Amino acid sequence: MTGTLIPALARGRAAAPAVAGPDRVAEASAPAALEAPRISPQSRRRRLGRGRLFPGARLAGPLLVLLVWQVAASAGLLDPRLLTGPDVVAVSGWGLLQDGTLATHVGASLGRAVLGLALGTVAGVVLAVVAGLTRVGESLVDGTLQVKRAIPNLALIPLLILWLGIGEEFKVTIVALGVLIPIYINTYSALTGIDTKHIELAESLGLTRWQYVRSVLLPGALPGFFVGFRLAVVGSWMALIVVETINATSGIGYMMSQAQLYAQSDIILVGLVVYGIFGFTSDALVRLLERRVLSWRRTLAS
Amino acid sequence: MATHPRELTAPPAVLRTTALRRSFGERHVLDGVNLEIGRGEFVALIGRSGSGKSTLLRAVAGLDDTVDGSGEVLVPERVSLVFQDSRLLPWLRLLDNVVLGQSGAAARERGRAMLAEVGLAGRERAWPHELSGGEQQRAALARSLVGEPQLLLADEPFGALDALTRIRMHALLRALLRTHGPAVLLVTHDVDEAVLLADRVLVIEDGAFSLDLRIDLPAERTAEHPDVSRYRARLLAALGIGAPVTSPASLSGRTSS
Repeated sequence: MTGTLIPALARGRAAAPAVAGPDRVAEASAPAALEAPRISPQSRRRRLGRGRLFPGARLAGPLLVLLVWQVAASAGLLDPRLLTGPDVVAVSGWGLLQDGTLATHVGASLGRAVLGLALGTVAGVVLAVVAGLTRVGESLVDGTLQVKRAIPNLALIPLLILWLGIGEEFKVTIVALGVLIPIYINTYSALTGIDTKHIELAESLGLTRWQYVRSVLLPGALPGFFVGFRLAVVGSWMALIVVETINATSGIGYMMSQAQLYAQSDIILVGLVVYGIFGFTSDALVRLLERRVLSWRRTLAS
Repeated sequence: MATHPRELTAPPAVLRTTALRRSFGERHVLDGVNLEIGRGEFVALIGRSGSGKSTLLRAVAGLDDTVDGSGEVLVPERVSLVFQDSRLLPWLRLLDNVVLGQSGAAARERGRAMLAEVGLAGRERAWPHELSGGEQQRAALARSLVGEPQLLLADEPFGALDALTRIRMHALLRALLRTHGPAVLLVTHDVDEAVLLADRVLVIEDGAFSLDLRIDLPAERTAEHPDVSRYRARLLAALGIGAPVTSPASLSGRTSS
């Protein structure tokens, strides 16, 4: 009989049928055991969680949308001036790729995004460190940036055009300003929110100010910085879309607004797909970087 | 408060506080504390919560800049601290944690040797969260001793550990002290721990010492030593707890009174 007892925690699917046999035999041959508690193989507990995700599950939704869209387009339900089918979008995209148009525009957009992101990140980190490390810096920088935060970036466009014209400097500046705020806010709050226990430890070990900043403060603030950086990457694309749609002679946004003039919905969709790919890829890259840099946290999260 | 008669054989002091006062608002948490600890001496400080034992330790450690107070604290050049939690920095590997703040080319070698001494050889590259609570606290001990301190301050260092781990930590601490020989000021709420480890136990009450008890037991002592229970009873009495409750009858008698 004891052979039928399996630990309550063992939930192996294979284990249950294997021990069902002896239990049934025991039941049949022992009618006197009526009052004894019935011992039966542990059945699998009802799972109340959401269960496991099947591989590639996240693609199911988008693929379904694509399928419905294609079927509707092929059946002639869609006006091609307003929305062409995915096949036409693919062909147009291929064409733009072949004649180099897409590469030119993507290159222009990517250049602005990367430059703006780099400038905004450096500025955001420097300001956060200045505000986070010194009281003077805090009183000078933090209030100013909180005011800046309250002003929407796009509201600065008229002034910036007046100052910088409508060239590249203007576009990169808008992107950088959009990046600066989330980087600053998150890095600053991580720097000032450092655990006082860690500060006490640093004091008790007699660390110098520089050792403290390098070994305790900056690594401790790194997770906060990455929260800001991921927001900033998304924000840089958003800012880009706006500036490229308003005043530009190149870039994905320009390509799309031109297509709008000629009612080329396929090219608009190519632009949207490119933006989507960029946004998705850059976020994945940042997450990869974050995992690398914050490897001490990896096993915590998993 | 009366000063304690000093023995002629007393070793030179490594720690001396004179008329130490600390207060939080109107409340005087330390009320003129005079404390002297000799070289290599192990002093345990016990008291009920709120008695001022942690305040005294923090004052000696110089971690109470924001607290009002007066008095003089003389400490040696090298003082180190062990906290109740290990306070290992999660983003530094174990060896980097142990040698944090140490300078010189030999620091990493010393750190490695220290980790081996606390039984963590081979774990130099582990992240702190990969260690058990006891292992983390052993690493914290290694960090506190790697600089060869003359005075080790410990604030309930084993308070968060389970009973079995605590017993093993006591043995480890004794072995480490034999090798490194710092004076120790241990704050604890565990009377047994104080009797088993210390040369001298101070009971603090309302910001002043109410008992200064020398423990005359061999360095290698166990809870089975006949005198241990005698010391324990004296300390419990000083803490106002009285004889331990042994039967349900006396328990009900106590609650009804």
